Amino acid sequence: MANTSRSYLTCIRNTLEAAMCLQNFPCQEVERHNKPEVELKTSPELLLNPVLICRNEAEKCLIEISINSLRISIKVKQADELENILTKKFLRFLSMRAEAFQVLRRKPVQGYDISFLVTNYHCEDMQKHKLIDFIVQFMEARSLYA
Amino acid sequence: MTTIEAHQFAQCITCHAWSPDQTMVAFCPNSTEVHIYRFLVDKWERVHVLQKHDQIVSGIDWSVRSNKIVTVSHDRNSYVWNQEGSEWVPTLVILRLNRAALCVQWSPKENKFAVGSGAKTVCICYYEQENNWWVSKLIRKRHSSSVTSVAWHPNNILLATTSTDGKCRIFSTLIKGVDSRDSATSLASDAKFGEQIVQLDLCSSWAFGVKWSPSGNTLAYVGHNSTIYFIEDVGPAPSAQTVAFRDLPLRDVMFVSERMVVGVGFDCNPMIFAADESGLWSYVKYVNERRAAASSSKYGSQFSEAFGFGKLYGQSKYGVSTDTVEPSKPRGGVHHNCINCIIPLKKAEDGLVKKFSTSGLDGKVAIWDIESDADFSLKRN
Repeated sequence: MANTSRSYLTCIRNTLEAAMCLQNFPCQEVERHNKPEVELKTSPELLLNPVLICRNEAEKCLIEISINSLRISIKVKQADELENILTKKFLRFLSMRAEAFQVLRRKPVQGYDISFLVTNYHCEDMQKHKLIDFIVQFMEARSLYA
Repeated sequence: MTTIEAHQFAQCITCHAWSPDQTMVAFCPNSTEVHIYRFLVDKWERVHVLQKHDQIVSGIDWSVRSNKIVTVSHDRNSYVWNQEGSEWVPTLVILRLNRAALCVQWSPKENKFAVGSGAKTVCICYYEQENNWWVSKLIRKRHSSSVTSVAWHPNNILLATTSTDGKCRIFSTLIKGVDSRDSATSLASDAKFGEQIVQLDLCSSWAFGVKWSPSGNTLAYVGHNSTIYFIEDVGPAPSAQTVAFRDLPLRDVMFVSERMVVGVGFDCNPMIFAADESGLWSYVKYVNERRAAASSSKYGSQFSEAFGFGKLYGQSKYGVSTDTVEPSKPRGGVHHNCINCIIPLKKAEDGLVKKFSTSGLDGKVAIWDIESDADFSLKRN
């Protein structure tokens, strides 16, 4: 199971590696503010094209990139009703403890099960390769339970 | 190429600048303060802390002749610091900005400085004797996004800017009473203040790190799509070259000589670009890598891949899959995070750069020596 997902995860890892080039960038619209542009989406020139990586219809990963932040949204496979409920409960449990994970978004992006939000501040205090490892290992662990 | 020294000053450094005699370094440790360190006997010691801003300091420049420090910050303000006795005294600059200031540079004659801002404007500031403050003239409505970098032409009149709209522009900054008209070259002799001379639309992504070559004949800037642009003979008939490279994008560049450029950025390792006899620019190598090493590392990765498959088969026999995707490796050698600032140090009489310093998000300031590198001395002439 995990072996077949290898290329999917490698693809996500390589995309994250290239996408995680973030920098401190103050808001152009609001005075004295500094917000993740990927959430605000007020200046279209500060956003790059989003990348969608699909393994199949049920499993996909959307990577949205802006100048100072990056949003990774994951949809995990749910084969039947039971898995659907399990996934929902498990991810809800995690999302409620989002602060402990730092890069976890409290609410997933619509159409996805769980979202991460990485900002330039995370890249300043944490090592980039460890951050990417965390996200990919999280997805790996997910695929073991599902 | 050898590093002389790399010193961990803080957790994270946004920008740095050197004193005229290069015994002191000023940097912002990713906060509202600017720290000045001096090398005393055998270690770096903090000698001054400049506190006046109330948001992160995004740019510092230390003038060589007049020994003044200019700082700009996301709080929309800028200060010029003057040393009086043992104290640094700030003078407020009337920037008239309503968004964050992002970058700053003294003009070659040091009678003006330019500030790029998130308000999509550039402020050209000059000193007003009667009021004892620095006032600014604005270049408005030319940029359609934040101005990420500014660079002065050696003639003290032309200013190049890069912006997150992907364009590089050149303006005339002739101010009556500050500049004399005869100092302008033929390129900008009849241009008024704020007049756009050239607009370069080469990059499809954000543009950063614009610099002029020592003579002012060549202009270089980088794009976030892992490319570097060289523009020769800026004027009525400029010629542009685009060099795309394999690795992560650059943030800033520096001219070593007319035909050699060092770029720094997200790859945590400075890259060298050089022009050959015909003027064709190309990527040469990473600063601290032997050129022959590139091919051997390629073999290395193939080996590890083959090894990875072996591991995969071995595990499937036992039916436990603990196999994981290979963890990504940390980048860089001296720096471990994005390098966002590169400053030339010691200059020889012929204007060539002999040493330079880099600082990055990993909080280190590294000093690199160019002279000791054989590749450099071959290429630089």
